Amino acid sequence: MMLLAAVFGPLLFAVLSLAGPVRAARWWCLAGSALTLAIGGAALWDFVARPGADFRLQVEVPWSQVLGASLRFGVDSLSAAMLALSGLITLVATISGFAHERSPRSYHGLVLLLLAAMNAVFVTLDLLVFYVAWEVLLVPMLLLIGLFGGEQRRYAALKFFIYTLAGSVMMLALLVLLWSATPAEGRRVAVPAKAVAAVSVDGGQTLHGLRVERSDQAPGAAPVVLVPRSFDLRHLALQWQSWREVRFLGMPLSAFGFLALLLACLVKVPAVPLHTWLPHAHVQAPTAVSILLAGVLLKLGVYGLYRIALPLFPWEVYTWAPTLGWLGLLGILWGALVALGQRDLKRLVAYSSVSHMGFCLLGFGSLTFAGLAGGMVQAVTHGLSAALLFLLVGVLYDRAHHRRIDGFGGLAQPMPRFAWLLLVAALAGAGLPGLAGFPGEFLGLSGAFTSSAPFPLLGALACLSVILSAAYLLGMVRKVVYGPLQHQEHAQFADCDRRELLAALPLVVGLVVLGVWPKPLVEALRPALEALLLHVRSALS
Amino acid sequence: MIPSWLPVVVLVLPLLAAVLVGLLPRRSPGLAHGLAAALLGAGLCLALWQATAVLGHGQAFVGPHATWLDLGAFTLGVGVYVDAMAAIMAGIVYLLAVLVLLFNRWYMHDDAQAARFPWQFCGFVFAMLGVVLSDNLFLSFCCWELVGLGSYLLIGFWFAKPAASEDPEYQANKGQGARGVLESSLSPSHAQLKAFVTNRIGDAGFLFGIGVFLVLAIGLGRGTDALGWANLRQVVQDPALASVSCFGLSGHALLVLAALGVFAGAVGKSAQFPLHVWLPDAMQGPTTASSIIHAATMVAAGVFLVARCYPMFPPEALAVVGWTGGITCFFAATIACVQWDLKAVLAYSTVSQLGLMFVGLGAGEAAGGRVAGLAHLFTHAMFKCLLFLCAGAVIHACAGHQDLERMGGLRRRMPVVAWTSLMAVLAIAGAPLFSGFFSKDAVLAAGLGAATAEGGLAWGPFVLACAGSLLTSAYMLRWWFSLFGGDERDASVTHHAHDPSGLAKWVLLLLAPFTLALPWTAGGWLEHALAAPGAAHHEGAHGANDSHTLDAHTLGMILALLLLAVGAAFAVAVFGRGRRELAAGLARRFAGLHRCCAELWGIDRLWHRWFVRGLGQRGSATAARIDLGSTQRLAALEAGKPGPDDFESLDGIVDGVARVCGSLGRGGAWFHGGRLGTYLAVAIGIGAFGLWWGLQR
Repeated sequence: MMLLAAVFGPLLFAVLSLAGPVRAARWWCLAGSALTLAIGGAALWDFVARPGADFRLQVEVPWSQVLGASLRFGVDSLSAAMLALSGLITLVATISGFAHERSPRSYHGLVLLLLAAMNAVFVTLDLLVFYVAWEVLLVPMLLLIGLFGGEQRRYAALKFFIYTLAGSVMMLALLVLLWSATPAEGRRVAVPAKAVAAVSVDGGQTLHGLRVERSDQAPGAAPVVLVPRSFDLRHLALQWQSWREVRFLGMPLSAFGFLALLLACLVKVPAVPLHTWLPHAHVQAPTAVSILLAGVLLKLGVYGLYRIALPLFPWEVYTWAPTLGWLGLLGILWGALVALGQRDLKRLVAYSSVSHMGFCLLGFGSLTFAGLAGGMVQAVTHGLSAALLFLLVGVLYDRAHHRRIDGFGGLAQPMPRFAWLLLVAALAGAGLPGLAGFPGEFLGLSGAFTSSAPFPLLGALACLSVILSAAYLLGMVRKVVYGPLQHQEHAQFADCDRRELLAALPLVVGLVVLGVWPKPLVEALRPALEALLLHVRSALS
Repeated sequence: MIPSWLPVVVLVLPLLAAVLVGLLPRRSPGLAHGLAAALLGAGLCLALWQATAVLGHGQAFVGPHATWLDLGAFTLGVGVYVDAMAAIMAGIVYLLAVLVLLFNRWYMHDDAQAARFPWQFCGFVFAMLGVVLSDNLFLSFCCWELVGLGSYLLIGFWFAKPAASEDPEYQANKGQGARGVLESSLSPSHAQLKAFVTNRIGDAGFLFGIGVFLVLAIGLGRGTDALGWANLRQVVQDPALASVSCFGLSGHALLVLAALGVFAGAVGKSAQFPLHVWLPDAMQGPTTASSIIHAATMVAAGVFLVARCYPMFPPEALAVVGWTGGITCFFAATIACVQWDLKAVLAYSTVSQLGLMFVGLGAGEAAGGRVAGLAHLFTHAMFKCLLFLCAGAVIHACAGHQDLERMGGLRRRMPVVAWTSLMAVLAIAGAPLFSGFFSKDAVLAAGLGAATAEGGLAWGPFVLACAGSLLTSAYMLRWWFSLFGGDERDASVTHHAHDPSGLAKWVLLLLAPFTLALPWTAGGWLEHALAAPGAAHHEGAHGANDSHTLDAHTLGMILALLLLAVGAAFAVAVFGRGRRELAAGLARRFAGLHRCCAELWGIDRLWHRWFVRGLGQRGSATAARIDLGSTQRLAALEAGKPGPDDFESLDGIVDGVARVCGSLGRGGAWFHGGRLGTYLAVAIGIGAFGLWWGLQR
């Protein structure tokens, strides 16, 4: 029920916000994000307290009997972390958007719609629902950028929409293929006893709701389950071997499916060279939308790799892992280098996102526990640090109405609190130990070092990013807040007010807590990640 | 033995102080300084207790340890480890921190920002203690980075100051020593950034080193507390090390790479060639911050780390350490000779002395290099701190002037500063009875021992260190005579000068005795304490070929004295006797050499040209152009027009593909545009084609 509330609650609030009085809109938005945060936080806490690889809070509402699709919701620790992040970031974005005066009803309604779609992506266990939510969330995003954005909002919004849509449209083909490759009466699949033991919640009687059949004649043989035709992700994952046997366009279905999925995810992450929609979207989007975009939307790509690509196509993930690693490295270094050359604050932060998300790919590709954990931790912590950076850029834009780095200088004198917050955000982005940027980066790097060739080399090269990230982030800090006051009219700027501090507070607290002691998060993620690793290993043997 | 909470409290107390003092109201600098000093003072007592206990027991104390993260194949821990060198270093850090903080109360008594200093300072001290007391390489790295943050904040303490090229005060007061300084990028805010980024260059190497150590530890199946000192020692001694391989590199090659990576970090923090460029700029911060950065924290961290990782350094890596130290020791000394900014002389002398420490470390355990390098680290911390505090007193007394050329005769106006700083100068020059004599002699002896033992290239660091030492006594005495000797040269600068008052004076007087050799050599406690574990066995071997080591020792001592005498004689003859024109004549005679040294050997400019302008500006601008397109394209997009240069950048390719698709669509749309003629023509055309095709068959 809680998960239904996490998806349909914001949806209901969106309707209420659109239809209700103008003044209530922002409060509906606040309520929707707080609800998500509460549910996500409670779920995550449950995994911290009782670690496990199982899906909890499961709920199933039949949708289409023919298609075998239904609203199957459930969370493991990966999705719980993402759900909590989505709630937190939306809360921050809402608070930062409180001052938004232009048509608040549709603005907050769209934010709620976006939140509902994001939550649906994170909690669904059904590939069809996943795909629908994945595409649906583009619409509110398109409208948020296209209606409330800056001068070039139409260009940026269309580019974002078409680019990401083109990236993910092949997923639809994948759905059809997976559906048509399964016999109507289902498929009998042998599952390694170890995998049954790792995931089953009732001592091996059932697996993901399916009865486990053990042959009495051959006690050593692997247990067998009859998998019905459906879009249940867990059932699709059980048949990973079948996807390798079915052929499509002269290649295994799994190869086609993996590439389709990979394209969709890489555009979202975004991986270089598929990233150029991001700077446009960020520059044109209003502050709150930038916060949502960097804080949650980019994580969808990473989440898709963990949730769909790896379970369904473990063999392909393994063979393509070095490519993913190289793409990650390319993103890390290229994003940082381009960020160094930016003169627009938002564009700089956008490219820093490209660089930081590269660590997710590098860690994921290394297929070690450290790397996988690093990818997830980096996804969460980058959400916090990028959101804080965009929030602060927004604070500056509200006062100066421009974002040119060289149009500022010496703001630490009129705005000391802002200067400290900006320094914290920059240091978190630069991966300073004690702040949350560090664990993700370090785990990603150590995962790469401890993986097989060519990953140690990739890790060694990725070390160079610590130079660049310090240069572009702290260089920006120097130009904006330190030195003598460059423009006398800036002396009148008010320091961060209570609302802005309130928006920044949860992010700063999160950055410090996760930076100093990330153990609870990693321990909560452990069973789920180990199950994924086991899945890859069993695919190799 | 000591209670298990003691080292933890010693470590965490400054952090607590930083938080508490940071929460105090900004208007009470006195309270902030007082509270911070009281807490650090309490920490000092605990650190001394810890030091006496550890030294008395003669055994390292392994403190509490917690697992930070368990990552399957390996675990990362946080914990404390106190052996003799850590205990002594922690004591020195605390002692100097308390004294500098007390001095700072006087130094900043008229600074409106003074209340901000203590908490940042305490945070800095905490980070340094973390490096000193950590029980593994991972925690060391974390605290190492925090040390970088601490220096960033302190160097940028007066962040609102303009660049030197736009600062009328700087332009009016600048001495001849400003040559070679890039004035347009010289300000506290530039200096803090430069320090951080330069350090990060080293830290990239450090991270790489950690990664390679992880590869080795996991390759040998020693993943539990993979980066702990004890575990790494076992990794290095593991006979199976040779069987580990990665990218075709043998285990030993990997070990060399890992050690060099860690050393790269030390090169950054300890300001060794070619990453030394941040340290002279760092003097844009308050002089009290410089005195702690140059003495007990920050630059000391690199030397300490190499000494800490000594068992993991194979001979090849130690050779690199020695050579880096030797080169730095010599070239920094030449620069110090021609600087006219009184803090710049001290800054380059620090770089040079740190080089000397690395020469000592590079000599190897057998030659006593580690003990010598550490001993010099400790003695240097004391006299360099004193020198900077004296420099701060002089600058404060002369209303911000820093030009040696305009000072002189200050010994009459500020006798306490003059005589305490003379003691420190004699110590750094290595005069007998002073602490520098004892430690520098040990370093030279170690270098000589290693050179005679290995021969060939191993002589390089030793020779360079000798040349550096010769220059040290010359430029330090020049510094002292220019400030305090002779007569007043510019009364407008010096006529208000007076000794610091109250506590600040006592701080100088308290530090002065530590410049003597006696506190360090009494009973040979320092050498005893620092001797390698298993010293009993070692001492037996020591006794067997005592004559050989004695030889190196005596030779080293004679050499050190000789170098001191020559350098000092020159300085006294030229600067002590008021024959300054002699120096000017020499500078004219060797104009090229003089220019080269005054221009800092061009290293700062090279960094600026290649790194700041080349990579930072042109390289990144090129990357940005490849990524989003030229500025014209961006301007066209801003204006709402399609970019003119599609397919010329990554983003242009995307737009180009969109444009091609658009044209195709428009081409297709031509067929069903609603024009009857088109439909007729197409229909006739298709009909004709069908007819022709049918007739063909």
